[in-house]
Amino acid sequence: MTSLEEARELLRAFPVVDGHNDLPWALREQVRYDLDARDIAVPQDAHLHTDLPRLRAGGVGAQYWSVYVRSDLPDPVTATLEQIDCVRRLIDRYPDALRAALTAADLEAARGEGRIASLMGAEGGHSIANSLGALRGLYALGVRYLTLTHNDNVDWADSATDEPGVGGLSAFGREVVREMNRLGMLVDLSHVAATTMRDALDTSSAPVIFSHSSARAVCDHPRNIPDDVLERLPANGGVAMVTFVPKFVLRAAVDWTAAADENMRAHGFHHLDTTPEAMKVHRAFEERHPRPVATAATVADHLDHMREVAGIDHLGIGGDYDGTAFTPKGLDDVSGYPNLIAELLDRGWSKTDLAKLTWKNAVRVLGAAEDVARHLQATRAASHATIEALDADSDGDAGPDSDPVSVG
Amino acid sequence: MAELQDDLHTPPEAGELGGLPLEGPLPPDVHAIGDGDDPDAALLDRARALLAAHPVADGYSGLPWALRHLPWYDLETGESAVDTDVPRLRQGQVGALFCSLHLPEGLAADRAVAATLEQLDLVRTVIAGHPESLRLARTAGQVIDARNRGRAAVILGPATAAALDDSLGLLRVLHALGLRVLTLAGTSWASEAGLTRFGDAVVREMNRLGVLADLSGASEATIRRIFAASRAPVLATRSAARSLRPHPANLPDELLAVLGAAKGLCMVPLTAEQTGPSVQDVADHLDHVRALAGPESVGLSGTYDAGCAHPRELGDASCFPYLIAELLRRGWTESDLALLTWGNVQRVLRVADFTARAAQQRGAPSAAKIADLDG
Repeated sequence: MTSLEEARELLRAFPVVDGHNDLPWALREQVRYDLDARDIAVPQDAHLHTDLPRLRAGGVGAQYWSVYVRSDLPDPVTATLEQIDCVRRLIDRYPDALRAALTAADLEAARGEGRIASLMGAEGGHSIANSLGALRGLYALGVRYLTLTHNDNVDWADSATDEPGVGGLSAFGREVVREMNRLGMLVDLSHVAATTMRDALDTSSAPVIFSHSSARAVCDHPRNIPDDVLERLPANGGVAMVTFVPKFVLRAAVDWTAAADENMRAHGFHHLDTTPEAMKVHRAFEERHPRPVATAATVADHLDHMREVAGIDHLGIGGDYDGTAFTPKGLDDVSGYPNLIAELLDRGWSKTDLAKLTWKNAVRVLGAAEDVARHLQATRAASHATIEALDADSDGDAGPDSDPVSVG
Repeated sequence: MAELQDDLHTPPEAGELGGLPLEGPLPPDVHAIGDGDDPDAALLDRARALLAAHPVADGYSGLPWALRHLPWYDLETGESAVDTDVPRLRQGQVGALFCSLHLPEGLAADRAVAATLEQLDLVRTVIAGHPESLRLARTAGQVIDARNRGRAAVILGPATAAALDDSLGLLRVLHALGLRVLTLAGTSWASEAGLTRFGDAVVREMNRLGVLADLSGASEATIRRIFAASRAPVLATRSAARSLRPHPANLPDELLAVLGAAKGLCMVPLTAEQTGPSVQDVADHLDHVRALAGPESVGLSGTYDAGCAHPRELGDASCFPYLIAELLRRGWTESDLALLTWGNVQRVLRVADFTARAAQQRGAPSAAKIADLDG
């Protein structure tokens, strides 16, 4: 039996729980949620990293669908709810393949039925508009993690890719974490500044996750996790779900991306501009400087290191498919997970270890968050704290504008 | 357990459609309770006995917004800062309560959405905090279920149309959170000019989900269009008769007749401004609406905690029996009163539930966009 065959067999027993997939955003941007125009029951290779046949081929058993919205939208709460509606429609539309999942028990039930457990994760505190009521609304709708920030700071938490703001979590930010603990919503520390990671670990009474982040010691990028934080996962019980995004995991790709962005700016374009003129400049750059290619081995290097530092019980997978333009060779789309497992088998990872990586750790963390929530709900009522009350003295520039209902 | 009505009568069967006028006699001891020398007391006793069998389904409570501004409240043992609490709901024999999610003027787009989520959260938190007294009800069956357990059923809505932020996805999400009623006014697609094409799509999606259209405050053009477009009965959650009292939310006689023909429901508010300063004024409106729209199209709307002044005898949620006594004095039959307090709301919810189930068999969620339809 080749290691790839062995990987597939293993995934049949313990399929992948993937921490982050941006299919909903891709459907919004490409076809404005016209699900007929992107019927994922049939291959959509030309448009998407994700469809049901490839999820099956990839051995995916559970997916946190990201209900991400851009933080510069004028209406982030509306947009987030539309993303949630999209996921709910997908689950209703493909009942043979997808199953709505809210709990660890739902994940196990879906595995038993051979359906893909479908969970939701919100990506960025901007989705709750500084409101714990809105946070509880997202939970009631099925959202099971909130990434505290996306690429920009929020009023109460610092992002890894923004200037320092409140210096980690503000008082209200810590209250958000406590309320998430009380609800049973996982605290996701991908995208946040290291200061925020440490504050969140100090505050959270439940295990945390990194829905899609790799190791900073292997590839120094702010989106990755520093070792001192990875070292805290055993005590916290959380899980770091390794991501595949080449510009985060491969040194050469980090440098290449920086040079490509610089080139765009030198030609007077925003580095994310995708207009035809901008793309022409970009293609010319790419012809002169071939794009470095990551592979399954690149990702395995991160996992080997994360395992050394955090331990086998604290690893998972978060591919970020349909959330990134480029993917590693061999992990081109959601059908690629067996290649990563095969690579790890070749490196001597045991089947027991791999079952933890793909399935068991992620299921355990969600169940643990539920246990903490049950415990907290017995002793604590819903928090009605406001950012105005808690962060009044800080520099979190929480003004009147940040209250969604400061009228009257 | 059954604190609200210990003397429960056999409730309507959960599967029973319509069939609400209860012609059966009241329990024989009921007439004996009152003091035979005092006709008012006897009427009040009869009103209470009737409400025990057919409690009030109150079409509008402003409690969520009122509670939002209280730093602390105790609804279980009584809260003087508001007009509604558990003891007074029991005294008033309220079996179901539509909880308004309306927002103050000026909140729009994302802020209206976030504020509506907060209002929904607040109501859910209040319900969770009073498990012996309140119960969230999403369907007609769940309203009955709550009543059988001695709880007041809380029905979420009406919400303001601005809460949709022009998105059918938002309508579906709010429905998933329990929303049952939406007021179709104050947006580009439901304005003085009537419903736009997107407005029609909203009504169709509401029918598909089972969200009731609320006409109170909608323009006449919108109201007429809703009658044409909606496959489910519609509500006016707080409208009285405009021919008796000119108020923009009150309905003219012609529309009351149309509403009756469409088997909709006009829920008459107990407010000084819309119905008048006395219990007799409210009864006049109820007489008028019953005459024009029919006994199957008239209901009650306490409109407590919504910032309105109330007739003196109807000052808070405990006062419904006084109104029913007045109607008994006027010769309302017990079957008409049973429809007024409870039966009509049950019918409207049940028909909407049925319409939704049928529509969901026929079609998928609508992906219509306002930019495409109204652009």
